[in-house]
Amino acid sequence: MRDTPLIGSYSADDVLAWEQGRPRTAGQFLAEGSHLAEIVPDRPTVLNLANSRYEFLVGLAAAILRRQVTLLPQNRASESLRRLVDDYPHSYCLTDQGETIEGIESILVQSQQAIAPCHMKIPRIPIDQVVAIAFTSGSTGRPMPHAKTWGALTAVAHATGASLGISSRKPLTVVATVPHHHMFGLEASVMLPIMHGAVMHAGRPLFPADVANALAERVGPWILVTTPLHLRACLTEGVKLPPAGLIVSATAPLALNVAQEAEQYFQAEVHEIFGFAEAGSVAHRRTINGEQWHPLDGVRLNQDGGSFLADAWYLPTPVPVPDRISVNVDGRFSLYGREADQVNVAGHRVSLGDLNQKLLGIDGVQDGVFFLPEDESPLVTRLMAFVVAPGKTNEEIQRALRRRLAPVFLPRPLVFVPRLPRNETGKLPRESLLRLVQEWKERADHGF
Amino acid sequence: MTAQSPIEQEVAQLLVETLKLKVSAAIIDPVQPLFGDGLGLDSIDALELALAISKTYGYQLKSSDPDIKVIFSSLRALAEAIEKNRTK
Repeated sequence: MRDTPLIGSYSADDVLAWEQGRPRTAGQFLAEGSHLAEIVPDRPTVLNLANSRYEFLVGLAAAILRRQVTLLPQNRASESLRRLVDDYPHSYCLTDQGETIEGIESILVQSQQAIAPCHMKIPRIPIDQVVAIAFTSGSTGRPMPHAKTWGALTAVAHATGASLGISSRKPLTVVATVPHHHMFGLEASVMLPIMHGAVMHAGRPLFPADVANALAERVGPWILVTTPLHLRACLTEGVKLPPAGLIVSATAPLALNVAQEAEQYFQAEVHEIFGFAEAGSVAHRRTINGEQWHPLDGVRLNQDGGSFLADAWYLPTPVPVPDRISVNVDGRFSLYGREADQVNVAGHRVSLGDLNQKLLGIDGVQDGVFFLPEDESPLVTRLMAFVVAPGKTNEEIQRALRRRLAPVFLPRPLVFVPRLPRNETGKLPRESLLRLVQEWKERADHGF
Repeated sequence: MTAQSPIEQEVAQLLVETLKLKVSAAIIDPVQPLFGDGLGLDSIDALELALAISKTYGYQLKSSDPDIKVIFSSLRALAEAIEKNRTK
């Protein structure tokens, strides 16, 4: 069976990561990963909650070496984690801040200066080994698991690197504003640098000044892995970024004018990656060169009735594309937004059906529905929700939702209504819902 | 509820307008937590708020500020940090 090295070509003293102002060499990383692999419990699955991208990577490597599968929870809401533990009861949890999850063993992963870097052979990993499971929100309310093989993660990293032309950029540092426990973040902020012998920045800058500071810490060319939201924030704030950069945005399409402005202002190429958790990254474009997407090396998009399937050698079966697309004869394609049930809030995709199920699952809620308004906000349009819950307070429902949902999906506002305008079949037609929203807006504008 | 000082009133107004909160600025308790179980703000709100604060007061927030968690802990702490660091 074919296997490939755990990291790209580094020598033992090459810097692999930059954590809190200190270099972590490839030799140190390999020593820490194999040391942790010796002490983690013998379990099939692990929840890696490390906040530092470097500690996360050490935990991921240890799990891979032990042939354990790393679970990538969609969010950190206590109820989501509890349900994940219900589904994978023989898990343990890795943390770098000492958090615990009820019912499972918790192991602390913290970079130790004490471990002497050793010159060792880079371990090789079988390409068909399942190393991670990503989850998407399904309309049934249950998270859907998507297994990721070592071959899939490495193939996507190499194909992404080729599309960005990063082999010519050395020494390269990758800084990311996106979380590493989501599919795009794992691929672009962890796998991409370590497969290309680059330096992975362990932080996760939030504010524009943080992005500038993180980039100021490195030498040589850089890649900023980010989202339209953070990129717009950096432009609005007018932060200065060092030269020789390349920006990669994903999670939601970037407006052409924002890409043009960013290329000009930061003197950096702006590229975009399109993908979804089920298949990983599948396509690339440099936004200013046109709206069409180029499939990554090895990815094909095949028509299947009215929709499309993404196929690649590393996918066990072809995967339906969750967006509406149209494909040219040359394989390039255009994107027209999410299928009906799926919405995107600040770059996070979720099923409205799933959100509705979670709302309806709360004690005292008789009926309820989530809705994504179409109005333009400066940065992000938030979801709103209508709920029928006599005797409950807004605060009680919000608190229950906070235990079940990622903060980004919490409704703003949550509106109490006596009933929802369902038709005789119990369905809630979109026109009725829009009317309800309109009525609510008019009332709200009058100070209610 | 603790009463709001003039600068707290101003920052509360900025908060409500920036984040389109459907509450009146006057009812934000200066000592109540802004994130999590208090007003329920998240990191995207923090980002939007940081942009508004920079624009209004010329104060650029950074996560590397040693007391960033304190600054965002309540309206009072945020208003104090703005008073101390504002350039306009």
